[in-house]
Amino acid sequence: MIESAVAVKGLTKVFPIPFRRTKLVALRDLNLEVAPGQVYGLLGPNGSGKSTALKIILGLVAATAGTSKIFGRDSREVRSREAVGFLPENPYFYKYLTGQETLRFYGKLCGLRGQKLKARTNELLDLVRLQDARNRRLGGYSKGMLQRIGLAQSLIQEPKLVVLDEPTAGVDPAGSREIRDLILDLKRRGITVLLSSHLLAQVQEICDRVGILAHGILVREGRVHDLLAIENQTELILENASPEVLAQISALLDKSSTHLIEQRRPQTTLERVFLDATHPSEKNENRK
Amino acid sequence: MPPTLPKKMKTANDLDGKKRRHASAKSVVNSFVVKHRPFSFLRIAAITGNTLTELVRLKVFYFLLIFALLLIANSLFMARLSFQQEFQVLKDVSLGAMSIFSSLLAIVATAQLIPRDLEDRTIYTILAKPVPRHEYLMGKLAGVLLLLALSILAMSALFLVLLFVREHILVNETLRATASLRPEQIQEALHSLKASAFNANLFPGIVIIYLKAALLAALTLLISTFASSNIFTILVMVFVYFIGHLEATAREYWLQDHSSCGWLVKAFLALVALAFPDLQLFNLVDDIVAGTAIPMTLFTQTAVLGCVYTSIYLFLAWVAFQGKEL
Repeated sequence: MIESAVAVKGLTKVFPIPFRRTKLVALRDLNLEVAPGQVYGLLGPNGSGKSTALKIILGLVAATAGTSKIFGRDSREVRSREAVGFLPENPYFYKYLTGQETLRFYGKLCGLRGQKLKARTNELLDLVRLQDARNRRLGGYSKGMLQRIGLAQSLIQEPKLVVLDEPTAGVDPAGSREIRDLILDLKRRGITVLLSSHLLAQVQEICDRVGILAHGILVREGRVHDLLAIENQTELILENASPEVLAQISALLDKSSTHLIEQRRPQTTLERVFLDATHPSEKNENRK
Repeated sequence: MPPTLPKKMKTANDLDGKKRRHASAKSVVNSFVVKHRPFSFLRIAAITGNTLTELVRLKVFYFLLIFALLLIANSLFMARLSFQQEFQVLKDVSLGAMSIFSSLLAIVATAQLIPRDLEDRTIYTILAKPVPRHEYLMGKLAGVLLLLALSILAMSALFLVLLFVREHILVNETLRATASLRPEQIQEALHSLKASAFNANLFPGIVIIYLKAALLAALTLLISTFASSNIFTILVMVFVYFIGHLEATAREYWLQDHSSCGWLVKAFLALVALAFPDLQLFNLVDDIVAGTAIPMTLFTQTAVLGCVYTSIYLFLAWVAFQGKEL
């Protein structure tokens, strides 16, 4: 039996409210399983319990009830974080460190030393395209650069699981697309990704499975394709269809009990239009 | 082109040929996985180094300029005193300023460490790595202790250089003034001058100043694990600092007037002594200024007391921080 990358059972978290008798239930009986190599998206409005769930999985917050395991190890054990990388929402990191120093610091925390650490730092700076800014202090980095150095630090010890809390929050569409591409690359490498996000279009694009949280309760959960499929409808996308062909199809449909709900030209996304306008050189290269 | 993860360690340019071939034969995953150790001095050293860098780059060393200015202003004033008085004032002002500056630095530098990490969310990235919480605290405290050691070394160097320069100037002046006297009288004058300038008692005094600052740093770390802001921590510590200097007098008065008090009162007083360390015990400046030799037993007792207090506060900080919801 393959061990789950993340296994959460009956997780409940209650926060007492100071000076009041009431309590805040952030999570209620959450059950979640993320298979190795999967990209799992945790969705939900602000205050739905996404970040609390991620923090409990990472052992940063203790659960009131229930269990959380990473590759079979209890999240409360320090060893469970041996193969985990984490990028929190809107991280600032140490402003006085340069990009290179930041990666070296996190590498040392994971036990990397000497040539291994040097090689890994160079590799990750290349990966997140920050080689030119390696000797600049993070205080001078843009939001997108901070997010990329954050992603690089989460990958420093080549983790088997990467947890990303709103990885594209506040990043422009080009930066957001770069982070999306990096996540897809992690997926290709067989690294499990657990992320929370508000960008539903992006989650739909990169996640294998999603869970939707509302008021601390998992209200929907399943494979993205299954959740999005409308059972009694079929979509046809035609190329170079002449008006005659369309008329024939329409006539055929009229003869049956099938209803044509909508007929329109497929549209590109606003993200695509934005990227083509702001990065014309990449227009042809990246067009899909 | 979208960025891609390297398939093998092909960018590990710094490895030599043999190592590179060996590394490229393995997957990246296997190359970088390092066996976890339950306790690692290297992890603590990484946090210590980072904390020291943080404090140094925040330019906390600027206070050394104030210390230097204070010493210069003091030496201008001293020109009107006799040499015994001059050296007494120099030692009194320098050691007193060293004690106050190191205590202030210990409190202010430590108070902002954990709140800042929490505010910037950097604490999540550190503790989401295989770093136990006690190592995080030990690293932070060690960073401050290193900073304190460097600051006290710098202040001591300034003080000793000034002491040496003044001694040298006064020796020359004495030689000029006593040129007509007999050699024995000259020797006696010089001996008297040198005895009131530098003496070996200065070093244990400086070590005790450092231990007092270390104790205050550990207590500040403890408060900051549950404080809501660093202003609160600093205010509490200023309160502790004053009580710590006054409690000996208060306790003496209480025990003298209520000599028949029961174990409950004594236990309460012991608790107060733990919460508010008797900082007056770490005040050996008066003895040094007066030229009294510090007995070895007194120095050892005070040093052990400082280390015990620091360890207890660090342990309590760990107890408070272990269960903290981040």
